[in-house]
Amino acid sequence: MTTRSQTLAAHESVDLHEMLNMKTLGLAKSKLLQGLVFDVELKALLQKDAELSAQSIANLQRLYAKAPFQAPVPPNRPTPILQGGGKDE
Amino acid sequence: MNNDYLDPINSLHMPELADTTLAMDLLMRAKEAVRNTAIAITEAATPELRLALRNQLRQELAMHKEVTELMVRKRWFHPYELSEQYKLDMLAANNTVKISGMNLYREDSSRKGMFYDTPDQHIGGEQA
Repeated sequence: MTTRSQTLAAHESVDLHEMLNMKTLGLAKSKLLQGLVFDVELKALLQKDAELSAQSIANLQRLYAKAPFQAPVPPNRPTPILQGGGKDE
Repeated sequence: MNNDYLDPINSLHMPELADTTLAMDLLMRAKEAVRNTAIAITEAATPELRLALRNQLRQELAMHKEVTELMVRKRWFHPYELSEQYKLDMLAANNTVKISGMNLYREDSSRKGMFYDTPDQHIGGEQA
């Protein structure tokens, strides 16, 4: 199996897209649900899951940067809502 | 449980109802993580990626084990006494269907003005 070090193959890169989104949503949920649970041990386990998910995300992002379709990530700047917006759309 | 979300009868056992539901959600997510990662490994060609996913899989298997053990210990999950699990499944379904029928949220969810730079913009006129 010839391997090229830098760029990932197509299929694995699309799977990385799925995996990263799964981990991101898992992290969001594990963080959010800590505000809803009553049981202290369950809350601790949600916190642990959140921490592990955050680690996985960092790992996956490093690899995802090697996807053939990678691109520069713009800073998170929402299009100005008031530019023509602001009125009842 | 009736449709009046202010009626205290509806809050009976609510903490455990919430915890059992949210724990089950964590269990389902743990299972999905293991399954998805296992499949991803079988599509990974690059060695570095395969290794990263294998390590992730090991971690996810450990998390799944931990969630399962907590739920069994709390009697929120009965893998061996399935008639107990049957009751929990049905009760959870009934309760969740009832709650979903309640009118819990405000009609207009846009919260207009709360997140804009100039919060009074939506008022318009001289007060904006």
